[in-house]
Amino acid sequence: MEGQAALRTVLRAPFAARTWARLLYAVIALVLGVAGGYALLLLLAAGTLLSVTFIGLPLIALVLAVVRPVGRLHRWLIRTLLGEEIAAPHPIRRGSGLLGRLRGRLGDVVAWRAVAYLLAKIPLSILAAAVGIGVLAEGLWSASYPLWWRINPDTVHTGHGTARRFGFSIGSFYFDTWPRAFLVCAAGLVVLLLWPWPVRAVLALDRMIARSLLGPVRLSERVADLEQTRAQAVEGAAATLRQIERDLHDGAQARLVSLAMSLTLVKDSLRGDSVDLTRARELVDTAHSGAKEAIVELRDLVRGIHPPVLDQGLEPALRTLAARSTPPPITSYDLPTRPSPAIETIGYFCVAELLTNITRHSAAKHVDLSAKLTGGLLVLRVVDDGDGGADPTRGSGLAGLANRVRTVDGRMHIDSPPGGPTVITVALPANPVRS
Amino acid sequence: MRIVIAEDTAILRAGLAELLATRGHEVVAAVADGDALLAAVAEHLPDVAVIDIRMPPTHTDEGLRAALRLRQERPELGVLLFSQYIETKYATELLAGKSAGVGYLLKERVADIDEFVDALGRVAAGGTALDPEVVTQLFGASRRTDSLDTLTPREREVLALMAEGRTNAAIADTLVVSGRAVEKHVANIFAKLGLPPSEADHRRVLAVLRYMQS
Repeated sequence: MEGQAALRTVLRAPFAARTWARLLYAVIALVLGVAGGYALLLLLAAGTLLSVTFIGLPLIALVLAVVRPVGRLHRWLIRTLLGEEIAAPHPIRRGSGLLGRLRGRLGDVVAWRAVAYLLAKIPLSILAAAVGIGVLAEGLWSASYPLWWRINPDTVHTGHGTARRFGFSIGSFYFDTWPRAFLVCAAGLVVLLLWPWPVRAVLALDRMIARSLLGPVRLSERVADLEQTRAQAVEGAAATLRQIERDLHDGAQARLVSLAMSLTLVKDSLRGDSVDLTRARELVDTAHSGAKEAIVELRDLVRGIHPPVLDQGLEPALRTLAARSTPPPITSYDLPTRPSPAIETIGYFCVAELLTNITRHSAAKHVDLSAKLTGGLLVLRVVDDGDGGADPTRGSGLAGLANRVRTVDGRMHIDSPPGGPTVITVALPANPVRS
Repeated sequence: MRIVIAEDTAILRAGLAELLATRGHEVVAAVADGDALLAAVAEHLPDVAVIDIRMPPTHTDEGLRAALRLRQERPELGVLLFSQYIETKYATELLAGKSAGVGYLLKERVADIDEFVDALGRVAAGGTALDPEVVTQLFGASRRTDSLDTLTPREREVLALMAEGRTNAAIADTLVVSGRAVEKHVANIFAKLGLPPSEADHRRVLAVLRYMQS
């Protein structure tokens, strides 16, 4: 069966759209690669020579500015014709002022790597085109040998006065008879059949180089990622403080003011000789329930800031959380040691948010919650059989969680097809500082 | 008094309306945002408006904006800002320009309803009522600490009460001294700070505030 499948692949390869897309790529790459590569070389050389004058460096900066979109064009070609997605590198960090922008361009690692790619592209594109077009041409030439070898053949005169008329010879072996002509044809067909594979091999090399030179830079990407997550963490903290202030202002603080008003009314009603006891009781009742509401609001707010039970560990905290949520999740815990407190807190709030989402949006009947430590990771998994279709790009809840998780180099994975079930996995480094 | 209340927290709106009603005042409208306040004032022509500073939609200073507009459009209307925090900046903006009939109090002052209603009455009558907290902040922020230092402790107390918008009689009551004694202190204060003597209560408040802000 496997042999058959392989055979089918080989037989179909010359006719596959992919194969012709590769050929098209090789042809376009030849034009782009050779012309672009030499133009680039010329401009860089000119810039270098002129760098003794004041236009040299700006010229190089200009070239580097153009190279970025050229890199994008190559990524697009590779994606469209070779089907390989290369992630875009980070955008340039712009300096301010003319000098700052010039420095930014000249120090643009992404552009310099693109330059390296475009230079490597000169021999690469020639090789790809040579293999792609050359092998194809050879195959077509051989395969069509029987059609043309009789037309305008070469002629040699051998000893005995006989003339050999042929189109092709290997040494003194002349392909000058019909059986021999069909032999050439058969060889040509084999070449045509196998033609896609060397092309593929050469382009695989091109793709590999493109991946490492046109893709994101590891270290600079990491820095960009850290900058972004740090900004998000700072914004998140500020937003949290604002929210707490708001909750206090509109909640407990307003309730206490209202309580003071109620007590004022009570005092008023108790003043003088004829006291209306019914009215006074009503007012005291109002004040009493106002005080209780204020206490509840404060308690909820405190739990939102830092649930005290979390000091006992993540497992008891999650147990408390699970007991309060609907539907109550089926839980499993495997936490032999405690992650660092910050990780416990983030993990706790992730689960809290996910369970709240399930209650609010999913109409789930069964929920599974698991928390385990494995390979230095705290892995939290929440599964529900609700409506699914959870999408971090819609609504900020999940996106906010993902951001929060990223600040400690954690990962959140969401699998939620429409109709469910939804599986959300959060993996956090258990001790990010130590590891 | 005919009163309009603008306050977005429902329990406070209702509570305040009830309190003022038990004191025999007529709350003609109680609304929850600035636009509704402007509309209610235009409709009911009240004596005084009690305005929360933070209201929808942005929950920042909508109340102050509405108050400033009301003061410009209806100088005869008393405006009492009512907030859980005191911002000196807001007080300064409110007191800038024409100055009669303004007040700025912390919400918690309603716990002492007599004082609150008294302050509201002052504002409705074209006087001034500033929270002691506002006065403290203005004292703290004042660059004229040198001349303030020349005041005796008693004179500073009188100055603070004056800045809140109280009459000499009220100051005398609060400090448990005679009216004559207060008049003497006031005269000393104006002399030491180099302020022109002033009779009308709200004008003395302004004199003091201008002095501290200048």
